[in-house]
Amino acid sequence: MAQKDFIKGLQRKEVPEDIIDVVKDHYSNQTDLGKATAKDLVGVGLSEEQADVLLNKLGKRTSVVVPVKKKATGKKRSKDEPEEPSTPYVYEIPDKSKQYSVFEKQLFAKCEELKLLLPRRVILNIAHRLEGNDISKENLVKILKAANQKFMDHMMDPNESAGILAAQSIGEPGTQMTMRTFHYAGVAEINVTLGLPRLIEIVDARRVPSTPMMTIYVEKALSSDVDKVKAIASNIEITTVLDLADIETDLHNMRLFILPDARKCTQKNIDNPIELIQDKVSRLRGIVMVTEVSKESLPANVELAGEAGIGYLCLEPKEHSFKNLQKALEMVKASKVKGVEGITRAILRKKDDQYVIYTEGSNLREVLKINGLDHSRSYTNSIQEVYDVLGVEAARNSIIDEASRTLDEQGLSVDIRHIMLVADLMTNDGDVKAIGRHGISGRKSSVLARAAFEITAAHLLTAAMTGEEDHLDGVAENIIVGQPVTLGTGAVNLIYAPAKKGAVE
Amino acid sequence: MMRGVSKRIGSIKFACLSPDEIRRMSATKIITADTYNDDGFPIDAGLMDTHLGVIEPGLMCKTCGHKVDECPGHFGHIDLAMPVIHVGYVKEIKKLLQATCKSCGKLVLTEEDVKEYRQRMDTMEELGSDAIDMREFSKETAKAAAEKAMKEVCPHCGVEQKKITLDKPTTFREDGHKLTPKEVRERLERIPDVDLIPLGIDPGACRPEWMVLTALPVPPVTVRPSITLESGDRSEDDLTHKLVDVLRINQRLRENRDAGAPQLIVEDLWELLQYHVTTYYDNQTSGIPPARHRSGRPLKTLVQRLKGKEGRFRSNLSGKRVNFSARTVVSPDPWLSINQVGVPTFAARELTVPVNVTKDNIEVLRNMVKRGPAPVGLVYEPGVNYVIRQDSRRIRVTERNAETVAEGIEINYIVERHLMDGDIVLFNRQPSLHRMSMMAHMVKVMPGKTFRLNLCVCPPYNADFDGDEMNLHVLQSEEARAEAHILMKVQEHILSPRFGGPIIGAIHDHITGVFQLTYHDPHFNKAQTLFIVSKMGKNQLPEPMTEKGNEFWTGKTLFSTILPPDFDAQFKAHICQKCNKCEKENCQHDAYVKIRNGKLLMGTIDDNAIGSGDGKILDKIARDYGADRAREFLDDVTKLAIGSIMVRGFSTGIDDEDIPEEAKRQIEDKINNTFSEVDHLVASYRDGTLDQLPGRSLEETLEVEAMKKLGDARDEAGRIAGKHLGIENAAVQMAKSGARGSMLNLSQMAGCIGQQAVRGERLSRGYWNRTLPHFQKGDLGAQAKGFVKNSYKSGLTPTEFFFHSMGGREGLVDTAVRTSRSGYMQRRLINALEDLKLKQDGTVRNTADSIIQFEYGEDGIDPTRSVQGDAIDLDDVLRHVLGEHNADLLTRADERKIGGYATVEKDLMETISEEEEESEESDFDSGGEE
Repeated sequence: MAQKDFIKGLQRKEVPEDIIDVVKDHYSNQTDLGKATAKDLVGVGLSEEQADVLLNKLGKRTSVVVPVKKKATGKKRSKDEPEEPSTPYVYEIPDKSKQYSVFEKQLFAKCEELKLLLPRRVILNIAHRLEGNDISKENLVKILKAANQKFMDHMMDPNESAGILAAQSIGEPGTQMTMRTFHYAGVAEINVTLGLPRLIEIVDARRVPSTPMMTIYVEKALSSDVDKVKAIASNIEITTVLDLADIETDLHNMRLFILPDARKCTQKNIDNPIELIQDKVSRLRGIVMVTEVSKESLPANVELAGEAGIGYLCLEPKEHSFKNLQKALEMVKASKVKGVEGITRAILRKKDDQYVIYTEGSNLREVLKINGLDHSRSYTNSIQEVYDVLGVEAARNSIIDEASRTLDEQGLSVDIRHIMLVADLMTNDGDVKAIGRHGISGRKSSVLARAAFEITAAHLLTAAMTGEEDHLDGVAENIIVGQPVTLGTGAVNLIYAPAKKGAVE
Repeated sequence: MMRGVSKRIGSIKFACLSPDEIRRMSATKIITADTYNDDGFPIDAGLMDTHLGVIEPGLMCKTCGHKVDECPGHFGHIDLAMPVIHVGYVKEIKKLLQATCKSCGKLVLTEEDVKEYRQRMDTMEELGSDAIDMREFSKETAKAAAEKAMKEVCPHCGVEQKKITLDKPTTFREDGHKLTPKEVRERLERIPDVDLIPLGIDPGACRPEWMVLTALPVPPVTVRPSITLESGDRSEDDLTHKLVDVLRINQRLRENRDAGAPQLIVEDLWELLQYHVTTYYDNQTSGIPPARHRSGRPLKTLVQRLKGKEGRFRSNLSGKRVNFSARTVVSPDPWLSINQVGVPTFAARELTVPVNVTKDNIEVLRNMVKRGPAPVGLVYEPGVNYVIRQDSRRIRVTERNAETVAEGIEINYIVERHLMDGDIVLFNRQPSLHRMSMMAHMVKVMPGKTFRLNLCVCPPYNADFDGDEMNLHVLQSEEARAEAHILMKVQEHILSPRFGGPIIGAIHDHITGVFQLTYHDPHFNKAQTLFIVSKMGKNQLPEPMTEKGNEFWTGKTLFSTILPPDFDAQFKAHICQKCNKCEKENCQHDAYVKIRNGKLLMGTIDDNAIGSGDGKILDKIARDYGADRAREFLDDVTKLAIGSIMVRGFSTGIDDEDIPEEAKRQIEDKINNTFSEVDHLVASYRDGTLDQLPGRSLEETLEVEAMKKLGDARDEAGRIAGKHLGIENAAVQMAKSGARGSMLNLSQMAGCIGQQAVRGERLSRGYWNRTLPHFQKGDLGAQAKGFVKNSYKSGLTPTEFFFHSMGGREGLVDTAVRTSRSGYMQRRLINALEDLKLKQDGTVRNTADSIIQFEYGEDGIDPTRSVQGDAIDLDDVLRHVLGEHNADLLTRADERKIGGYATVEKDLMETISEEEEESEESDFDSGGEE
């Protein structure tokens, strides 16, 4: 398991496969690997460059060291000299401490003094409501005490089956939701999955949502300038060769001609299409640029275009065959000229007095690299992406956000605590686990509970083989053997000891 | 008796049976494939051998000497002539064969490697990895060994390893040569115990060679009872059939082998035996045809018995059948309290409660027993069906022996008396989606044949009376009754844990009734007042008011009588018009509700005050005055509403949708205008002058624009119709007060039904390029694509009717798909979350004791007790401490509170544009179920 996670982790960090192959035999987890120096890594059979790449990917180095330079310095140094200690990246710890007003601080102090257990949020609420009013100290204490009393009254009882409560509260409104997949959420142009299918998707922890979507905010300074935001948007939206140019196939000479379309280009804000396309297309495998084309061999419309002064590009497959030509055509058509992989459309919307970019398709990692955006507010509805880029805590918040938004949109009120519990369970052990046989339910400690859920026979057979023991702690197992469950009143044992006869009352 | 003694099963350990153990626990060896002899008695050493237990009355088990019901049944065994592979373990066997050496049986890993793997397993265990993590890890180990075996020779004995493949389902091959189960077994035998641990097998629980069967356990006959048909023929269980097959082939195989038959024949029979044993375990093994019954039905063998919804686990172990339960149709009875249930006498006489006889109740019980099982008389009196003596013998009370049994009753007997008024029972309606689907009610025995319930409990059960049936369970122990009393009574569930508001509340006519009582404060004379108050069972009239010497009572005074005397509240009623600036106390629509000291000062009581879902008064009473006071309040509201609605009378009919000719003409004009606008759009689409929306194709742009136009037309039609439907209109009263229906429904009845849609788009399917042959091909106009111009009242044209059915069908399909999908989601959620509980220290943990949340919901607040999600009701606290005078604070309080509720808007003008689909659905959901 650990090994698998480890490898998955490396893959997620985009470490090349060949390096993973070498490393996985020698290290069992990332912390081990993290501690290893480049030298250690070379020791296990990696080239120095590979070691460097690996450490960079793992984030153990701050700057991308140019391999050549590194090699040079490495050679100069004698072998005995210890490796230069890599300078750790200095993380700027964001200042999260909210500035509390004097009054708020006073209330905090007061609560501490009175030994009240009120949560910060409630105190802030009180402060917000009382601020600026003339309230006597006496009354303040009274308010706090009264609030505390109510708070204690409203606490959940121990041994309450919080889980079942949450599951029912989320499951029951499911029957009232619409199945209709598409709905226009704010932006008429973008379809977003909503209702029950979306909720199931969230709970399932699908890798890719059926309609990935991003909301990208632009830096405050730029956000009211339509043109600038438009420019950013057009850099985000993926532009393929086909979006800029027409492609002409010359079957006779086995050639492809790319004819940029001026109108399309200006729409996409591109003024040098030929160079751009050439740059991208020349990198494609199996395709050769044809630089000199005799005039006679030009198809009629290409000739026309050439005369019109826009120019054209001519390509041919390395090996001439219709199959290769077709392949080349497909490749050229789909090759990206600019934009972010996965984002098929970007649309501007005015929100208050700011322009916000909504996109169809999502790629958080790449979008966060783009300058001029307000990264802290940009958002994707892909939980898995949030997990990959920002980590498990962010994924948890993302689950809560997405689930409660889906429910709200359907006009169903569900207490956020229920959704929190589901999100916390899904992200409990560090990655996002699905609710269901491949996730939480498949990893229950009880054999009987697992067998009662799904894939009954397999669970029983492996349990027998591995000699598993079921301690009957959970609900399902105890129901199966016919005992009281360990929740609520079943969790406590009370014995009534009657007063002895003759004892004084 | 075990009563009161609570012994718990501590744990259950799973392990494999060794052939040795199979033989040791076997009561007898089964040899013959026959079951019964000619006399109908079980044959010795046959599959129905009486050593295995008995299923027929009169016979005695030869193993334990007990009779039917007392003998639990005993296992037998079959000695297999040749070993056979257990299907469930083929994958494991393959893994083992690949990972171990063919000659020495050791893991094909060096000692150091093995040591390391074991060490790592130890650390994992120390760090608290669960069984599944360990399993995954051992899989990795096995894979590593298998890979090594392919590349290198065995590090222990230096033998080169060959490639092991598996021919599904049960044939192993080594470099293409078949390995017989015998050879497989021999190899597995050679694997030393120490090497099994890194492979994830517990040698104490399961030796790998046991995965190749040499003896087959035969389950007791009680597990596979045969049934006698009416014709006198016996019909055997599927398992017995399968065992007969196994025995028969086993016999033939043994004979052939012993007689030295050709290898080919022996192998064929061996394979046949393998097939029968395989299908005996799992008849759905992929790669082989399932064994079939003579009729062609596939047999239900061991795995099929356990698995799936109808399998042992989900059907018999996780859910069990019970006695002392009843099921019948439900019908309403507003005179019952919300926590009562009307039980028909017929059912009450069957359902019994066990009562211990003590010196205090012996006389009462004796009288009951004397009445027998079916007392007669106009008034229902509980009788007794059974009396249980101290020695647990049950005596059936009949009319004849009632007297004698009654005389014989002693202390410590148990008397099973009939249900009587006041007994606590559980009441349930499927699907049981939340805990409010099963609540405790007090019995009220009634004539008739249906269960009666108060209308306020319809929402939690999601019940209506179009033929719904419900279940009732009578509690059998004191402990159960105590828990039901404290935890499960209806009033304990008025507040829903889902959103912290009331889920049980007034519905339909209750709301209309109270609305009529309080809206613009009508006056009632003494007779009317008496009529209303008499319904509530109060014997005192509130203080009258006088005007010109006449005594009269206002509706608000009457409503105030049922409020707690110190009750304070203020909120906006459902009829609120959502004016731009709220006039508060000066509201013209009487929509601002203000209650001080239990007096309704102003405002109308409607859905927002007492309704199920968002009744604010109800919410507050339940939270601040307790469940019992809330129940009392609800019962009073019900009765008050009935009184009030009966004074005036209330009905709605088709004439409620009458609108003047002038309005009809306006609507007609409006719609016709829109039609021409749409035609215009289509024309501009055709000649290419339509402005394309960004990111949309031309066709999509047209559709979006047309939908918008047509939507607006419907809204406008509704608005025109709405103008002519005043609040004195019964249908409008229902819609505005939140009792039933919406203004949208009304406008569809009176004005225009509007665009029909499938998948959110205008209708487009049917014929080639058109929806119906009544239109031109390619017609994109409004009426050709599903706009219904008529209202429900004016009636639909044939094409419109067809379009409307199309829209309606989508709704039906949607509901059908949704129930199954959401059902499965909920099952998964429940299964994943069922073990989580709040521990004493405030953390939420699972059964493995790992912490899921450090503090439940980040503040430890119970959503049931929360104030619409907030931890505390700050306004209350502030008003309590500071008093009414601090106007500034309180204004802010009002503002926040009103904005804070997230409810679906039902108001016509607010949401008419987006809620098209919703309305279509609501047309059908009333008839959808049952």
